Amino acid sequence: MAEPYLVVENLTKVYERGQVVALKDLSFTVEKGEFLVVIGLSGSGKSTLLRCINRLIEPTAGRIFLSGVELTKLSPRAMRHMRRKIGMIFQQFNLIKRATVMTNVLTGRLGYNPTLLTLLGRFPKRDRELALKNLERVGLSEKAYVRADELSGGQQQRVGIARALMQEPELLLADEPVSALDPATSHSVMQYLEQMNKEDGVTVLASLHFLSLARRYGTRIIALKDGQLVFDGPPEAIDEVKFKEIYGEEAEEVEVR
Amino acid sequence: MLDWMIWGYVAYGVMYLLNKYWWTVPLERFYSTLSLPSWGWPLTILGTLEMAVLCRNLGRSLGLRAFGLEVWGAEGGPPRVGQRLIRLLAWHFSGLPFGVGVLVSPQRAWHDLVAGTVLQPSPPQAARRRAWLSQWGLMALLLLGLTIWLGWLIVHIDIGVLFRRGEEGLRIWREMLRPDFRYFAVPDPVFELRNLPYSILDMAVVTLFMALLATVLGALVAFPLSFLGARNIMGFSPVGWGVYFLMRGFFNVFRSIDTMLWAVIFAVWVLWGRPLAGVLALTVHTVAALGKLYSEQVEGIDPGPVEAVVAAGGSRLEVIRYAVLPQIAPAYWAFTMYRWDINVRMSTVIALVGGGGIGDLLFYYKNEGDWAKVGAVVMVIVAIVWAMDYISGRLRERIT
Repeated sequence: MAEPYLVVENLTKVYERGQVVALKDLSFTVEKGEFLVVIGLSGSGKSTLLRCINRLIEPTAGRIFLSGVELTKLSPRAMRHMRRKIGMIFQQFNLIKRATVMTNVLTGRLGYNPTLLTLLGRFPKRDRELALKNLERVGLSEKAYVRADELSGGQQQRVGIARALMQEPELLLADEPVSALDPATSHSVMQYLEQMNKEDGVTVLASLHFLSLARRYGTRIIALKDGQLVFDGPPEAIDEVKFKEIYGEEAEEVEVR
Repeated sequence: MLDWMIWGYVAYGVMYLLNKYWWTVPLERFYSTLSLPSWGWPLTILGTLEMAVLCRNLGRSLGLRAFGLEVWGAEGGPPRVGQRLIRLLAWHFSGLPFGVGVLVSPQRAWHDLVAGTVLQPSPPQAARRRAWLSQWGLMALLLLGLTIWLGWLIVHIDIGVLFRRGEEGLRIWREMLRPDFRYFAVPDPVFELRNLPYSILDMAVVTLFMALLATVLGALVAFPLSFLGARNIMGFSPVGWGVYFLMRGFFNVFRSIDTMLWAVIFAVWVLWGRPLAGVLALTVHTVAALGKLYSEQVEGIDPGPVEAVVAAGGSRLEVIRYAVLPQIAPAYWAFTMYRWDINVRMSTVIALVGGGGIGDLLFYYKNEGDWAKVGAVVMVIVAIVWAMDYISGRLRERIT
């Protein structure tokens, strides 16, 4: 049997201050090409999980393998190298607000270029062409030289997607990519993720708030509650009972169309 | 502790006034402000301590008020009289020996444990308005009055002298307002003797460049240092902490030594009256002051872009270049402009302590009693300061 693409083994994260346990002994695997959606209440550990995978947050215990490489054992330097293949998009977009869209998209190439060159703000011609291509792909080619903070939320997230595309990633981590957006924009952003998943074969790990979005785009869903895995299966398998288990007795399902 | 200091202050004031007006006991050093009889000091300390403790236990003291705390019975509600008395007595065993009782159990000090009381944050607002009119307001007014009275006496303020010597003042003003601009562009022959063949204009230019150089050099040095003094850049490794504390310590210590003091040091070091001394003094202080302002700015950035650059595989320097710099640039410029402003003003007077620049002329003419020339120099200084103020103000407007 072939090794799964991503393996998370007994992952635990304890925040030192206040001894908050964010993740408790979490294990699961992801196959290449999956669109895995992570659901759960706020504070259930979704963000921490995604950030542990590219080690923006250092796990307290446990191991993570990507294509057989143990990420949790890599030196900072090797990890930096590895991050090039792991794109990430964020709930708050995390763009450089005072810089142009072009500069923002080009930061996706930082890992590929020597620091000495990038410090001067220089990028190879190939990168600039790729940036324009990716901006065109997310429908923002006319906005290339506009300051990032002049764009709407949905546009900013599309810049975030273009930035992630620049990394030519194998894996995409999307941390609540649409929580800050309205429903219509949410779908447009999600469709770009779906496109990356289906056309470019990028494995996607996305955390989402709305179950309806999770059902619509995910090929598989895992649910976290208090840092523990409470569900792992196909979207159809989440029924009323499962839903209450994940979100608590009081919860009511909200549709996003 | 604060209570003690307040009462100590009151007692000191009272003793001083007694000493001044009423005490006929001759004291050896009675000009000294600290002239109390030998038994006076221990008595004052103990007495005021007792006052403070009394005050603290019989109601809400000023110190407790300042920290927003109140003594409460453990069961809730104000403490009973018995509890207050016990707390007062117990305090002598827990607080007096260098505050052991408080240090050992900081959560709830010994005297609180014994008396069965707790310190609680006082309820906000509601009761406060009335309080200002009552005893605390009166107390504050008293302290204010005492301060002014004491200060007046200690500093030996004598308003009358302003009028008694009015003639003198008028003469200086009159001469200064008829400034002597003969040596505006031509060096004053007096300075040939001192080997300083400079006109007022020459010195003005020198001074301007002193300020500019100090600002530019200071900003250039402070810029990289500010990242080393920022918590969020240095991370949480032991080395990171070490460098951070070293940098912060350096900023704080060097900043607390005033530019004038630096000038004294450098004037002795590189020769009195050289503009170099002034530039060095201004630069050192600029580095420390800007370093602190800059690094606080770095600590206040939005961590989002930092995360994004790290996630894309960026190195530490790339994080600074792409995620930090764009966020701090406007504030950096504003701070630098503001510092330029300060440096221009400082550079005009730094010659007083041997820092060189236009102040050299000012103090030379002043010592000569040549007020017409002093007037000319002062006007040039005013013009420089005003012009720089205007320019930096406009630039700052542009940036933000």
